[in-house]
Amino acid sequence: MASLPKRIIKETERLVTDPVPGITAEPHDDNLRYFQVTIEGPAGSPYEEGLFQLELYLPDDYPMEAPKVRFLTKIYHPNIDRLGRICLDILKTNWSPALQIRTVLLSVQALLASPNPNDPLANDVAEDWIKNEQGAKQTAREWTQRYAKK
Amino acid sequence: MVMENAISDASDFAHTPIPKLTQLDALLRCHICKDFLKVPVLTPCGHTFCSLCIREYINVQGKCPLCLSELRDSMLRSDFLVSEIVDSYKAVRDDLVRVLVETKKEDEDEDADQSVIELGSDVEEPALSQSSDDVQIVGTNERGTLKRAATDLLGGSSRSKFFKSGNVAKRSSTTSRIESMFHKSEEMAACPICERFFPVKELERTHLDECLTLQSLGKSPNPAQRKPKLREKPVLPRSTRIKSTSEAPKVSHVDKYIHSSAENGHQRLPKLDLSSMPVTQVKQKLAQLGLPTLGSKQDMVARYNHYEMLWNSNFCDSLDPVDESELKRQLTSWEASRKSNSTKSTSNSISNMMVSRASKSNSQEEYRKLLANFRNDKFSRKAWSKLFNKQFKRLVRDAKKRVVKSEASTKEATSQHESDDKEDVEDPLSDPDLSADLLNAIDAKASKPSP
Repeated sequence: MASLPKRIIKETERLVTDPVPGITAEPHDDNLRYFQVTIEGPAGSPYEEGLFQLELYLPDDYPMEAPKVRFLTKIYHPNIDRLGRICLDILKTNWSPALQIRTVLLSVQALLASPNPNDPLANDVAEDWIKNEQGAKQTAREWTQRYAKK
Repeated sequence: MVMENAISDASDFAHTPIPKLTQLDALLRCHICKDFLKVPVLTPCGHTFCSLCIREYINVQGKCPLCLSELRDSMLRSDFLVSEIVDSYKAVRDDLVRVLVETKKEDEDEDADQSVIELGSDVEEPALSQSSDDVQIVGTNERGTLKRAATDLLGGSSRSKFFKSGNVAKRSSTTSRIESMFHKSEEMAACPICERFFPVKELERTHLDECLTLQSLGKSPNPAQRKPKLREKPVLPRSTRIKSTSEAPKVSHVDKYIHSSAENGHQRLPKLDLSSMPVTQVKQKLAQLGLPTLGSKQDMVARYNHYEMLWNSNFCDSLDPVDESELKRQLTSWEASRKSNSTKSTSNSISNMMVSRASKSNSQEEYRKLLANFRNDKFSRKAWSKLFNKQFKRLVRDAKKRVVKSEASTKEATSQHESDDKEDVEDPLSDPDLSADLLNAIDAKASKPSP
């Protein structure tokens, strides 16, 4: 393995010394490009009170290439599918090397606060969300209770 | 120079008396590598990045990382002023952080044993705080606790004004801590030797001794180091400091900026669509530039693209371009790190060839220097292992691989890689004694797992 770029070391240090409220990210002992992440469900959303586990991987070309982020905890969300993959523009087409782990995780947290059923990844969830928003939110709350309990 | 290796961060200033320096520090950094701007270039959309960082990203995607507007590398313009600002800031940053952290510590010590003391007259302060720019800068500081560090920056002349305006700022945040610091700053006095300002107590207790010791050692504690008169004469403080310890040439960032010019007689390398050319043509292009034509077409295309980036960044953007051989060395190390990154380790050894090539041309001198001290105490193990790091790693890797592969015919394999390794090693080293030593060490390692 080639040596870790300075930028990654720096970002890791910052994540530890100055963590984002409601988000933790710890690098794996064996692979400093692999992070174990937790995100608290934002207050006022159906995911409130939930603690979601994610994994984040920095590819070799990072920061020229976006980090790979995936939910490990099951979640009922129109932009997150059963495998935990996330539909978020900055992780795909709108990635920019000016972004960093911190901003990516904040965006994921923001996605929990404002789901976008019009650009779905999990089609069934998105359909449910459009047809019966209250019911869908209720389901999301139940899932949070069941799978993401702190 | 220490800075190059240490990982500094804008947040270093967050807990000093001047937390707003965090912003200055952050602004002088590239948004791609998060380090200080190195050969900064300006985009048409008004954003600045390191030349290499942005060129690398443009190869991936032609957008500005900050505003996502369209961007091509021909649009980039070098920004000599920012370049020199960053360099002169880097030169003082260490001192700045140190002085501010010390100041903070002293403040905390003071807190413990000093009570609040009101000073200054409320009436005349507001007027004074606007009487000079220095003072205003000071006054806008949130905590208004500049004390010694700021005094150093401002110089003795504006000292009294500064203290009073400092008091204005403090009044808004009325904490006993700050009041006590204010009181303390009244007790500053100039050191008769180095002319810097210190709290009287510190001056008497420790500083005078230090200063005298330094003086007797012939190292003049230079006042410019901590008290640069930034307005009239922005000399580079580090250069003066270096001068006091060694005879490094003095660089003025101002002069360098004034005399900067983009003309250095080198044409920019064009971006070529090599992947749509036949292999022979690709090889021809590489050969014209004196680059190796080894490896797959994909490797060669990547090699050209990276070299084009290095070249244009160096000859079009940089104020201090290096010569072509250094660029080739950079290309070599880039290619080597790329190789070790990719999981498939190619036994076809382009990187080997490149390394030996580099050893022959550029590192030859370094190698000779090291070799001269090989058998005595001055021999630098670190530099040696750094110079041959790649070869060492490769040898060990190859050896291990072969041992695992041919466990059935271990002996055969051992003798085989011995001969192979010999070829590889002797080429760059050209010293039979040494390569034999190396081989012995490697063989010992490699043959361990065999029965």
